[in-house]
Amino acid sequence: MKKLLASVVLMAATPLAIAGGQLHLFNWNDYIAEETVTAFEKSCDCQLVQDYYSSTEEMMAKLLAGASGYDVVVPTQNAVQALIKQDFLQALDKAQLSNLKNSDPGFLKRSYDPQNTYSVPYAFTTTLVGYNEKRLSELGINPGNWSIIFDPAVLEKIRGKVTVMDDAEELFAAALKYLGYSINDQDEKHLREAQKVIMKAKPYWAAFNSSSYIKELTVGNIWVAHGYSSDMVQARADAEAAARDFTINFVLPEQGAVLALDNMVIPKDSKNKTLAHQFINFMLDGKNAAALTNEIGAGNPNKAAAEFIDAEIKKQTAIFPDAATLARLETIEATSAKQRRLLNKLWTEIKIK
Amino acid sequence: MQQKSWQQRLLTLPPMGYLLIFFAIPTLIMLFASFRYTGEYGGLAPWYSIENGTLAFDLTLENWQRLFETDIYLRLFFKSIGYALVTTLLCILLGYPLALMIARSQKKHRDLLLLLVILPFWSNFLVRIYAWMIIFSPNGALTQMINSLRDLLGLAPISIMYSATAVITCLVYVHLPFMVLPLYANLEKHNPALLDAAQDLGANRWRRFWRITWPLSLSGVYAGSILVFIPVLGMFAIPDLLGGTDGIMIANVIKQQFVESRDWPFGSVLSMVLTATAVLVVLLGAKIGQQGAR
Repeated sequence: MKKLLASVVLMAATPLAIAGGQLHLFNWNDYIAEETVTAFEKSCDCQLVQDYYSSTEEMMAKLLAGASGYDVVVPTQNAVQALIKQDFLQALDKAQLSNLKNSDPGFLKRSYDPQNTYSVPYAFTTTLVGYNEKRLSELGINPGNWSIIFDPAVLEKIRGKVTVMDDAEELFAAALKYLGYSINDQDEKHLREAQKVIMKAKPYWAAFNSSSYIKELTVGNIWVAHGYSSDMVQARADAEAAARDFTINFVLPEQGAVLALDNMVIPKDSKNKTLAHQFINFMLDGKNAAALTNEIGAGNPNKAAAEFIDAEIKKQTAIFPDAATLARLETIEATSAKQRRLLNKLWTEIKIK
Repeated sequence: MQQKSWQQRLLTLPPMGYLLIFFAIPTLIMLFASFRYTGEYGGLAPWYSIENGTLAFDLTLENWQRLFETDIYLRLFFKSIGYALVTTLLCILLGYPLALMIARSQKKHRDLLLLLVILPFWSNFLVRIYAWMIIFSPNGALTQMINSLRDLLGLAPISIMYSATAVITCLVYVHLPFMVLPLYANLEKHNPALLDAAQDLGANRWRRFWRITWPLSLSGVYAGSILVFIPVLGMFAIPDLLGGTDGIMIANVIKQQFVESRDWPFGSVLSMVLTATAVLVVLLGAKIGQQGAR
C-alpha cells in the first residue's frame, strides 16, 4: 500500500500520443525489469503505463470495486480463482500467444484454471525471511526457522529490529507453518493459536511492513524482515551496490512457506486486447522472462528462460526450489467471505493490543 | 431573520446540490449497506430475493452487533479521539502564538509570512510523510542527535520511528496550517484600540491577552480546532506509515474492511459511527462557539 501511494504520487505520468497506444499494466511493485519495459515499448511503439499494488487483497479490492481500464493484471493463483468465479476475465486467444509453448508444463493446468483458459504463468515468489548476515552471525542466530520471527527467546536479542508483513494472510500462513499446520488451515482453534503466537511476538517487532522493508534492510535499520523472495534479492543487490559493511541474505524457513504463482490475465473490460495479448506473448519470450529472474529475482516458470538465467541464481533453492524444497511450499487458496471476516477480526485484535 | 433574496438562494443552490450528491446520498447508501450481507467475493450480496413469487428481504443487524460484541472497536474509537484531541491541543499551543505574531506584524510582511505557513502544501502530503520517515529513521539526523545527547547523560538510545510520538508529531505538522489560518483571519480583525484602552486602564500584558484577545479569538480557535480534529480522526496514512505494531487508528480498520477483508457492510458500520462522531463534535463545537461569542 505504502509503495503504491508513493508511486502514484511520484509518477509524473504525462500520457503522450503514441502510435501503438497505451497498455495499462496492473502489477506487483518491483515486478518487471526496467529494460523489459523499454524493450516492449520499443517493439510495439506504444507506452506501458504501470500501476502497482503490494498485496493481493489490495488488488482485488480495487478491481472488484470497479477499477477499470487495466489491460493486463498479474494476480496470484488464489486471486485468479476468485476473478474467474466473478466472471471478470477475458478468455485468452491462444492463437495470439505463440510463446505459450515456452511455459513449463509443471506450472500449467493447475487447479485454479485447469485449462489455462484465462491465465498464463508469469513468475513465482516465496515468502521467506531476509536478514542481515553480519548482525545475525554476531548474535549466533539461525535465520532458517520461523522461530526467528515468532519465538520470544530468539526475538529478545533482536528486539525492534524485525518487521513482518502487514498482510493478515501472509503472517497467519507463517504462524500456522511455525505451529506445524497447513497454510490453508481454516480451523478457528488453530487460527486462534496462530493469533496467540503473533501476539506474543508482536512486542519485539518494529512494525508491520509490506513495502519498505527492502529499504530498511538495505540501510541497516532492520535486521530481519518477513517478505517476498524477489524483494530480498533486490535488498541484497542494493546493499552490495551501496557497499555497506554488511550483507543481506535470505532463507526459506525449514518448516515451509508460502509459494505464490503469479499469472497474467486480461480483464473483460480491457480496451486494448490485441496489445494485451502482444504483451503477454512478449513476457513469455525466454529472454524477457529471464530478466524477471536476473533483474527482479523472481522464480521462473518459463523453460526457454533457463539458458539466459545467471548460474548463480539458479543454484538458490529459495528462488528455484528443488523437489525437496517444493514439497515444503504451499499456495494460499481463495477464502470465503466468512473466513475473511474471521481473519480480519483476529487481525484487528492483534493490531490494537 | 432577514428574508433571503432570490439571488442569494440561487447562489446557494450549487453548493447545496454538491453536498447533497456527494455527501448526503453516499451517506445514505452507506447506512443501507451497513444492514446488508457481504458478497462472497467482496462487495454486497443482493438485498432482496424473490422465491416462488414472494419477495424476501435479505437484511441483517449482525454488522452492528459485531461492533459491540467485543470492545476492540470502541477502544479504537476512543484511542483515535484521544489522538485527535492531543493533536488539536498541540496545534493550538503551537499555532496560536504563530497566528498572533503574524497578525501583529507589520502589514507589508503579513502576506509573506502567511505564504510561508502554506508553503508545505506545495509539496504533496505523502512526500512530506516520507520525508519524516527519513528524519525519524534510526540513522536519521534527528534520532542520532537525540541519542548522542542521551548517551552523554548515560541514557539508553531510543527509537522514534514506528511510535505514537512519530505519529502525533507528523499529525501536528500536517494539520498546523489548518489551525493557523482561521486563527489569523480572526486575530487580524481585532481592533488594536481595545488593547490600548485596556493598557490605559492599567491592565498588564498578560491580563490584556486573557481579558480581550483570547475571548475575542475563541471563534477562530473553534474553527481551527474543528478543521484539525475531524481530518485527524479519519487519518489512516500517517499511522500506516509511521505507526508501530499497535499504531493503528479507527480509519485503518475501516480501510481494512474495504481493502483486505472486502467486508463493505462492516466497513459501512464503522464509517457511520465515525461520521456520527464527527458531526457530534461539530455540533458541540458550534454550540460552545456560540456561547463564547455571546
